[in-house]
Amino acid sequence: MASPNSDEWRAICDKFTNAQNLTDVESRKDPENDPFRSKYKARELLREIYCSLKSFEAADGEEDAGGESGEQRPPEQPLDGQTEDAFDRGLSGDSPAGMRAAKLGAVEYYLGVNHVDTEELSAGQEHLMNSIKLLDRCRVSAENVSLYIHVRNQLGILWAGRDETETAQGYLETAESIYQRYMKEDGRPPTDMTEYFSTEENLLTHQERTKRFELAYTHTMYYLAQVYKNLGQKERAATYCHSTLQRQLQLNQFSPMEWALNAATLSQYYITKGRFMEGRHCLAAATVISGLAGEVPSEAAAQESETESERREQLRQKRAEIARCWIKYCLNLLQDAKKLLEDNIGELDSDRQDELRSARRQEEEEEEKGRKSALLFGSEDTFDSIASVEEKVMCLLPLNFTEARGVFLVGQNYVAQAKEYYQMDGYVTDHIEILQDHSALFKVLAFFEEDLERRCKMHKRRVDMLEPICNDLNAQYYLLIRRQLMFELAETYNEMMDEKLSLANRQADMQSLDSHTIKKINHLCSASTKYFQMFLDSLCSPQGKPPEHLEEEVLGPALVAHFRVARLHSKLISSSPSVQLENLNRSLENYKYVVQYCEAHPEATTAVETELELSKDMVGLLPLKINRLKSRMAANN
Amino acid sequence: SNEEEILQYGGRNERKIRVFCRIRPVNRSEAAQGGVVVVDKLDDHSITVETPRGLREFQFDKVFNAESSQEDLFQDTKLIQLVIDGYNVCIFAYGQTGSGKTFTMVGDKDQKNPGIMPRTFNAIFDIMQENSTKFDFKVSAYMLELYNDRLQDLLVSQAGEAHAQTQPSGPARRVEIKRNRKGVVFAQGAETKEASSGQELYALFQQACANRHISATMNVESSRSHLIVGIMVESKNLTNGSVSTGKLSLVDLAGSERAAKTGAKDHQLKQEANSINKSLSALGDVISALSAKLPHVPYRNSKLTQYATRVKAITNNAQRNVESKEIAQLKELIMRLKSGQTVEEVDV
Repeated sequence: MASPNSDEWRAICDKFTNAQNLTDVESRKDPENDPFRSKYKARELLREIYCSLKSFEAADGEEDAGGESGEQRPPEQPLDGQTEDAFDRGLSGDSPAGMRAAKLGAVEYYLGVNHVDTEELSAGQEHLMNSIKLLDRCRVSAENVSLYIHVRNQLGILWAGRDETETAQGYLETAESIYQRYMKEDGRPPTDMTEYFSTEENLLTHQERTKRFELAYTHTMYYLAQVYKNLGQKERAATYCHSTLQRQLQLNQFSPMEWALNAATLSQYYITKGRFMEGRHCLAAATVISGLAGEVPSEAAAQESETESERREQLRQKRAEIARCWIKYCLNLLQDAKKLLEDNIGELDSDRQDELRSARRQEEEEEEKGRKSALLFGSEDTFDSIASVEEKVMCLLPLNFTEARGVFLVGQNYVAQAKEYYQMDGYVTDHIEILQDHSALFKVLAFFEEDLERRCKMHKRRVDMLEPICNDLNAQYYLLIRRQLMFELAETYNEMMDEKLSLANRQADMQSLDSHTIKKINHLCSASTKYFQMFLDSLCSPQGKPPEHLEEEVLGPALVAHFRVARLHSKLISSSPSVQLENLNRSLENYKYVVQYCEAHPEATTAVETELELSKDMVGLLPLKINRLKSRMAANN
Repeated sequence: SNEEEILQYGGRNERKIRVFCRIRPVNRSEAAQGGVVVVDKLDDHSITVETPRGLREFQFDKVFNAESSQEDLFQDTKLIQLVIDGYNVCIFAYGQTGSGKTFTMVGDKDQKNPGIMPRTFNAIFDIMQENSTKFDFKVSAYMLELYNDRLQDLLVSQAGEAHAQTQPSGPARRVEIKRNRKGVVFAQGAETKEASSGQELYALFQQACANRHISATMNVESSRSHLIVGIMVESKNLTNGSVSTGKLSLVDLAGSERAAKTGAKDHQLKQEANSINKSLSALGDVISALSAKLPHVPYRNSKLTQYATRVKAITNNAQRNVESKEIAQLKELIMRLKSGQTVEEVDV
């Protein structure tokens, strides 16, 4: 082999540097009609380097191309068998033969990447496989482990691109296990890819070597995340995404706002799985890291310069986005707790509450254990700040009003933050979504509140928040949102009516309700009806004709709306028989609609099975009541 | 073929979109080069075009031949009255560079042959004048340029600011298109100026044109920028006090030959379903794809909105606990009725 200081060697190093420059720098300037010009040039140089290396081999009489390359290595097998071989058998990494193999392997690697970049996949694959074969002769060592990882990363990408996801998985998992074992057994900063053709003075520091090696492994994690996602192993994919994020922080290779948004997005995934501890950790980290992006430029500064204005927008919006993710955390935590605590009619079941409370102790222990083994984000500076953000809200399911209220207040605080940026004028849809979340927070908090009067007040807050918006929005452009709001207002008024009724019933029986209470109950009934009716009207044509056929998205809600309107009419309290008659008739009308629609459209029955059954019954029973009333009225006249 | 499709859809009355075709006369250089005219007006509603694939016919709501005047074209755009009545009207000029869009919309440089815009300015005030006993009118306008994907306010003089010796006054105008709760699309951050006559409106327009990215090689630059003029007419009925606002949008589009060159500007190869994205900057996309039911997906790009992830359901069926109470009550009720209690005894 040419000695490290000879002119020949220098020439090779220069050639290599040239090739790198062509690939990384010059290629960006290639014209659109000749986009690979620089890369083709680089390829030539790499080939020349390869030939030079081979000729050195021949000159040194060490050529061993014959025997071993004939040996067929079995195709990549998952993990352990391969790894053990890799570390135990073969040439020593730092022997002359081992070094030669590494250098040749590196050139093959670069040629492989070159061909892949120029869309010549099979040539690329061939070179990359050559690289593997060369390395397979050696034991894994500091001299070649980086190359080991890089080449398998590339093969992973290549095979994934061909839809051979399992093959890709194989290569990447091998890279993963090689890294892990290397770090456990050796751990020295390994030779970087670019150093094979560097002169003495250009060798990298240990720090830089480690940094690049770790970056390569971070990519392995990242690619595996994608592969697992493609294989449908979402949980595993999430873990690898988590690892990638974690490594980015540890290695200080991240852009704060981007990292923060990614962590916030990951938190949303954890929330869908009910893993609130991990979700909270992601959000706390997102909050802390987003702070690292710096101060928001003031309005004055934004006026002065386009860049500052842009930056102000970006920062404010992204922080508002993180706030919205926090809102979802609080909301889902409360809603999941409610699901566990509620009985079959949606009220808090105190037996379940007791059960969960005693199970809580065990959960708290697990939470502690979980924190130690979980993938914690951060570095020395940030661990504490993240922990202190986490302490502000619980991650276990709240079991009573006090705990629920704590979570609610945190959520409410983030609502205020999000609304600061997402103001109504300019961000109609976003603003309303935030209000809907706020309303949902109230709704779920009401579940934990025992006092009916206070519960009612919470629902009133929801009405006050949503009613003006519903009436203010342009009906044509915001159709879907208005329908959502109408339905929610209708249900909220219904709840309030229900609570007032329950309150009244506790105090006295129905006959002796005072007129004020009756008026209140009727008002709430009518309000609820009004909004259900508004919703139904929104389904009609501009001329007011109701639809013959209900579209899938509106089918369930429309039939439910009719059902509820029917129920509400029968709850109206009146002493006047003619008014009572009118109410009963309207009630019957709506029950009939449900029955008739389902008869005409049998496929609709699955959407509203229970309501349909009950409607059928009522259609049978109500006429009797109506007739009795009519005869009573006639008798009295 | 995109253009063909658009041309062929002319005449869809039910969509309240009318498509006119105006044929430009042969210009001097074309005549000098001995160019052949390939477009011919068949009748008021159709034209024929000689294409490499043979003679093709296209339908329009109205066809104007090369001899038609600016006045002819304007007579047919009787949309001004609609604006005053409170409707929104939009007029686009679409075509390749050099096809005569600006001539049609604006007119010639010396205004010997004013186009649709200046005629419109005058017409608005003429009609308002006719109705001045019954209505009170307020006219205002904004004028924007869309150039290199950015909206520029043309009523704010850029050159003026740069040369100003006074302290930095004018803000760095960023204009964004938003829709408010009334459903009205407005240009947030755009300067709106009032006008009390056709001349005033025209003067604003001239100021706007002066601020456009137009260089000496006019065609080169204007072929890449879109001109958008919005004129708002607010009418107050003096009898009953009701107010309505109509908006007229006049748009001179950039050369359509660029329409095909849309799409990603970056060098990424088209990502297939299972391929791996090499860049760590796509980590966000990978995470977003972990579940289709993420409660909230943070925006990454402030201009795009991710409507696909928005909740489409009208109501969340899983949370109908009033429903459960209702249903339970009703079930009990029905049971009692069926078991023999009279309807009077039971409050249905």
